[in-house]
Amino acid sequence: MLEVLEGGLQTTVQDWPGRQGYLDLGMYPAGPMDMRSFRAANLLVGNPQGAAALEITAGNFKVQFTDRRAVAVTGADMQPTLNGRPAPVWESFAVRGGDVLALSIVRGAGFRAYLAVAGAVEVPEYLGSRATFTVGTVGGFEGRGLKKGDRVALRPAGNVDAVLGRRFKASAVPVYEREWEIEVMRGPQADPDYLTGEDMEFFFSHPWKVDRNSNRMGVRLESHKWQWARRGGGIAGGHPSNILDNGYAVWTVNVCGDQPIILVADGPSLGGFICNATLVYASTWKVGQLAPGRDLIRFKEVTITEAITMARAVDQTLSEASIEGR
Amino acid sequence: MSTIGARGQAVIETVPARDGHPAVIYRHAGDRFLLVEYGEMTLDLTINFRILGFNEELKRQGLRGLVETVPALRSILIHYDSTKLSTSDLIAALKRLEEKVPTAEHLTIPSRIVTLPIAFADHWTRANVEQYVKYVRKDAPNVVDGYNIDYITQYNGLRDREEVITYIMGTDWWNACLGFWPGLPFMFPLDPRYAIVTPKYNPTRPWTTEGAVGIGGPCVAIYPVDSPGGYQLFGRTIPIYDPKQRSSAFKENPILLRPADRVRFTRVTDDELDAIRRQVVEDRYRYQIEDGALNVREYIDFVKSVKGEAEAFRRRQEEALKHVMIP
Repeated sequence: MLEVLEGGLQTTVQDWPGRQGYLDLGMYPAGPMDMRSFRAANLLVGNPQGAAALEITAGNFKVQFTDRRAVAVTGADMQPTLNGRPAPVWESFAVRGGDVLALSIVRGAGFRAYLAVAGAVEVPEYLGSRATFTVGTVGGFEGRGLKKGDRVALRPAGNVDAVLGRRFKASAVPVYEREWEIEVMRGPQADPDYLTGEDMEFFFSHPWKVDRNSNRMGVRLESHKWQWARRGGGIAGGHPSNILDNGYAVWTVNVCGDQPIILVADGPSLGGFICNATLVYASTWKVGQLAPGRDLIRFKEVTITEAITMARAVDQTLSEASIEGR
Repeated sequence: MSTIGARGQAVIETVPARDGHPAVIYRHAGDRFLLVEYGEMTLDLTINFRILGFNEELKRQGLRGLVETVPALRSILIHYDSTKLSTSDLIAALKRLEEKVPTAEHLTIPSRIVTLPIAFADHWTRANVEQYVKYVRKDAPNVVDGYNIDYITQYNGLRDREEVITYIMGTDWWNACLGFWPGLPFMFPLDPRYAIVTPKYNPTRPWTTEGAVGIGGPCVAIYPVDSPGGYQLFGRTIPIYDPKQRSSAFKENPILLRPADRVRFTRVTDDELDAIRRQVVEDRYRYQIEDGALNVREYIDFVKSVKGEAEAFRRRQEEALKHVMIP
């Protein structure tokens, strides 16, 4: 059992890859904003990489354990402490019944931390997944973020000692920055039919500021006066960003009027605005670590061949080969 | 010519229209999604019929590496694992299927008829509009007499709000796709004689009550949850989304409507709707759902037979537009 002493800004139960197969009914997959740190935390405590664990946004989260467990904290640095003494990050360690694990406010780069517990968090499955979908208020713990007083069940832990002291090799720990390079593929609706070549050049060269008003639905960037390759949206609406509604890829850049918004884990599944670029699988994790109101991003274009190579490389870092210790 | 692997290209390939098949454009949507677009940027329900027929066939194929599909008005978004299924193999499989699935007019599409009670100009959605005028935009031209129905009347050149209601009740509404919010249907009139249109709110409305029914452009939507919204409201119906899956209608799926459903409205009073909504909560209400099918050939013939009347209405709308303010 986990007893929540402080819920923080937004702490949710997630699993990976989230809720698949309901996109055509309007449900985005939910799941972790940073799948890389999430899967790493599970790997450290010997869980399947997709097992249910906690996503902690910005920090100020505190829990008390009721039994002996192996746990691991990954992601942004929130100076975790166990009973007031510094606890390791990117490394599994033991907690006993009565121990209090506290994460303070995020310091330095990054925005989300992940807490995995050996055995995994136990919440009911909803449509095949334990991920919290904040828009639909379903999944996870009662369809919402955790708050003080919540008691979260855990699944049986197995052999705790077998997974203690496992840590990520320094070379396999992702580096967080204040200025990010995020790999995308052009399209589905870019130049020359919707935007001009110059628009796309601007898109790939401009350092975009992450708007304060960003969350698990969308990461907003600043508005820009695009040139547009056409005057209006025809039957779909007056603005050239309007199209007849189509499905939105998860982790796509939606140009809503003048404003680009990266549609993320809990986003809208379908709509009537163009998407000029789409993040590749291997770069999506970076979005989970973007600090709203502070970080800058540049988009870098890659081809599908490069994207597949990158995908294999990221998955490779999430394997026993990256673990040392014991 | 395919451009897979090329830098600077969103469009992979364009296949021109031929023998009754619309043109197809294959577009990259990242390394895990492919967007397949059909025909022109026009509202043509026969394209959507074909897409839904094609989508069913595609799902039946069980292609290795295919995760899920999202059919929409004139497109299908395909979610696939590109490390297991290459883009070129996926496109080749889609092209083979294009040959196999007949053109729209040869299709009969399984399509349920879902009858929903609706209270027109109900007090719940009237309250949403009142709040909008009070807190967001006092001079909204789309609010006439405190609500949106009279604006729909003016915009379409209809006589009065009763005629708007007759038009909404006069046609079945084709659910072309679901999305944005969980379970939100995008519905279009199957009878073009009743194809009313409206512009959307500007700015959008911060509050819309769950079950509200509204229209934006030619599309009618039902709001599955309390949410912001931009459509002109004209009534309220019963729940179409039950995340907790409490009543039997939602046991298998928290979302009531599916693509290719036909929705038919039946008129009730506010009090009657209130009573039915209570029955839904207490699981004493049977949703009225009948299995059926839409024969596209017959549908096309029907549309031809009412062409004159549909065009007359369109002219009436164009004339009315000259005298109406846009929000």
